[in-house]
Amino acid sequence: MIVSNWRKALMPIVLSVALLFSACSSKEPSKYATTQKETSGRSAPAAVAKNAEAGGDFNKFFPQGDAGFARVFSQEKKGFAEAKLNKGGKNVAVLSISDTISLPAAAKKYEKSTSKIGSYPLLDEAPLKSTGVLVNNRYQVKVASRDPSFTATDRQAWLSKFNLDGLSKLK
Amino acid sequence: MSKAIFELVDELPTGGLTVMSLNALDFVIPGQWQNIVGFDNTIKIVTGTDDPDYIQAIGERAVALYNDKGEGYQTAMWLYNTVDSGSRLLGAAAMANKVGESFSMLSFLGNITPKAETAQTIDLSVKLVAEIVAFCQINGIPGDSVGDFLAALGDYGGESLMRMAALICFDGLIPLGPDFIGMVMDKMGGMGANELEGNQTFKGIKDQIPGGDTGGKLGFITESFGSVSGWMSDFVTSRGLTPETVVGNLRNFVEISDDKLDYLGAFLDVSTNYYEHTGAQTLARRLIERAAAEM
Repeated sequence: MIVSNWRKALMPIVLSVALLFSACSSKEPSKYATTQKETSGRSAPAAVAKNAEAGGDFNKFFPQGDAGFARVFSQEKKGFAEAKLNKGGKNVAVLSISDTISLPAAAKKYEKSTSKIGSYPLLDEAPLKSTGVLVNNRYQVKVASRDPSFTATDRQAWLSKFNLDGLSKLK
Repeated sequence: MSKAIFELVDELPTGGLTVMSLNALDFVIPGQWQNIVGFDNTIKIVTGTDDPDYIQAIGERAVALYNDKGEGYQTAMWLYNTVDSGSRLLGAAAMANKVGESFSMLSFLGNITPKAETAQTIDLSVKLVAEIVAFCQINGIPGDSVGDFLAALGDYGGESLMRMAALICFDGLIPLGPDFIGMVMDKMGGMGANELEGNQTFKGIKDQIPGGDTGGKLGFITESFGSVSGWMSDFVTSRGLTPETVVGNLRNFVEISDDKLDYLGAFLDVSTNYYEHTGAQTLARRLIERAAAEM
């Protein structure tokens, strides 16, 4: 009898300890867990829209390298092209053109724009040290600093060197 | 299902033999490689932002891009994983609890055997081809464009350059000696398709190598190695790399007696996964750059 009571009394303690341990040892879900679930698996939507422009079509609208700046193309994917801007062998900025058809929110943020380059809305994102324009309400052209020496003024200057009007005629 | 990109980057080790052996190559490319680990940390370092909302948004886009199989990022990660020898599991598990200490190779000599020269030659050339194919999968240049790869090699930096430095030192100079480039070109030139077919590293990734049948793939591998040989040769000469200088730096953390140097290549092969480690770092960087530019 005593043995049986002793067992009864011990059981809740054992259970609580077990629960406590399993609760402590189970990892907190990642803050990317929801995105992971939504974007993986068979029925997940593609990250890049089917009708996005080929990245190679963007290359000709990039500015050439300039005195002291070497331009090196670094990525060419569907809906995206990127080139590095290097000075003295060091990467100081990244130039890119992307098709916002895959990510409409990227185009929508230009509704907040208060200035322009030519007729194209301009937006500076200080936390990213990045400045962009939206061409034809679809193509986002961005210059992002990768070195403190490359300032917001430099970013705007390099944005103006893109062939934005040519890009606006891209069909 | 394969691991999420944020898990792969979050789980990269900060110590252990792979990291120590790469650190030992700092003298080859001084200060150019930092062992950046952690997904959010990589976002901060690549973009320079510490704004949590931006970090979350960039991270989410990078996760989505990685998960889109058509984008090629998962294929690249698979290539980096697969060419790292499967035999390393033995070493990794046995040495996992020795982080921070000096490693003695002696206790593992019973478990490792130097590879035959032919096997090592194929390993080195197949790893190089894996780099070319992975580069094209990540950056989107068509898979058989060796010319584009060569142009980009000049701009290799950080973890990508460290991967190439390790390939040259750990898979070239140490196991094959100072004339490894000429030796590999000779051996590959005279190799038959059968010899290639029997190689484990080749078997692992052969479906991803351009060229059609094994003979065609052999041609692609030989041609790729030949195209990059000039760059590798410059890399070795300009930095004064010899098996002795590399071994000298490795001696800072591995006890190696001179009569056991033959085993060093095999020891590194079973105990490190530098392709997978730096490959995940390269992939994360490129994904994050793209995500930040697109958002």
